[in-house]
Amino acid sequence: MGLRENILSDPISTLELRELLAIEPDQTVRSAVELMREKKLGCVVVIDQNGRPLGKFTEHHLLKLLVSNPKGLDCLIKDEMTAVWAQVNLTDPISKALDAMQEKGLRFVVVIDEQGKAVGLTGQKGMMEYIADHFPRQVKVQMMESKLYMDQREGA
Amino acid sequence: MRRKRKGIQQGAYEDPLKDYSPPQFEDDLEQALCDTELATVDMKPFDAISPKTKVIDAMKNMAELGIACLMVARDDGKIVGVFTERDVLEKVAEDFEQVKNLPVRVVMTTNPICAYEMDLPAKALNLMATGGFRHIPILDADDHIVGILGPRRVTRFLQTYFTN
Repeated sequence: MGLRENILSDPISTLELRELLAIEPDQTVRSAVELMREKKLGCVVVIDQNGRPLGKFTEHHLLKLLVSNPKGLDCLIKDEMTAVWAQVNLTDPISKALDAMQEKGLRFVVVIDEQGKAVGLTGQKGMMEYIADHFPRQVKVQMMESKLYMDQREGA
Repeated sequence: MRRKRKGIQQGAYEDPLKDYSPPQFEDDLEQALCDTELATVDMKPFDAISPKTKVIDAMKNMAELGIACLMVARDDGKIVGVFTERDVLEKVAEDFEQVKNLPVRVVMTTNPICAYEMDLPAKALNLMATGGFRHIPILDADDHIVGILGPRRVTRFLQTYFTN
């Protein structure tokens, strides 16, 4: 099947989801930063006691927060998170995540299970990995680093 | 004994490309990835700063423009680094008061992996998907910056082939 058909039929669960970095609303931005640094991921999801998402906080929010408030790391995450996020179900087709990102201009999409509990993250990088996996002979053979010219003459 | 040089016989030459047929692509996206240049992808606008710019000024610049990455270039236009949201998270946030007035060259990511505008879009996708690089500066043949590709621009580029 072609890529377009796969995106319309494959469920989100076939993507390699990112670990969900969950944080409670009363924790500080500092603890969110520590978590993001430890896990090397640019987004934490604020969840309620039942594991349902309430909002998210990303690297971009951190940047804007520090510019406007140098002491921002001590603020509570519930005051700095954004309630704008997109969520998709594990059984939804991949196209739904793609549309959600495009529609709201988001980098991350929260993945929830049937009970509405947040179970993972996907996003623009997940989509790129999916497409690269679909075209391995075209994409994955490309050199990581290349120069137009050699530094030295060959054999010199 | 002197050997007689063989002459090329009439009609013996075979065109090595006689069986060549142009590559067949599965769909438009595959063709766009492998048969076009990066220059066809939207990679502007971009912003570049001097390595001497203060960290706080670079951050204000990014916040105002709503961008995740600034390129750091010398006066001659040659790139020396990138300063991204990830650098803010990793190197700036927890020591903000001490770091904010330092020059950005102290905390930037040096020697970023770049691509050339004549490279294939498949290369940029590989750098991002497999290499894990979030922003790829795009250079011309003289190593001058001509644009930058990030996940949003690449996703938008890919999206056009799903909706068409």
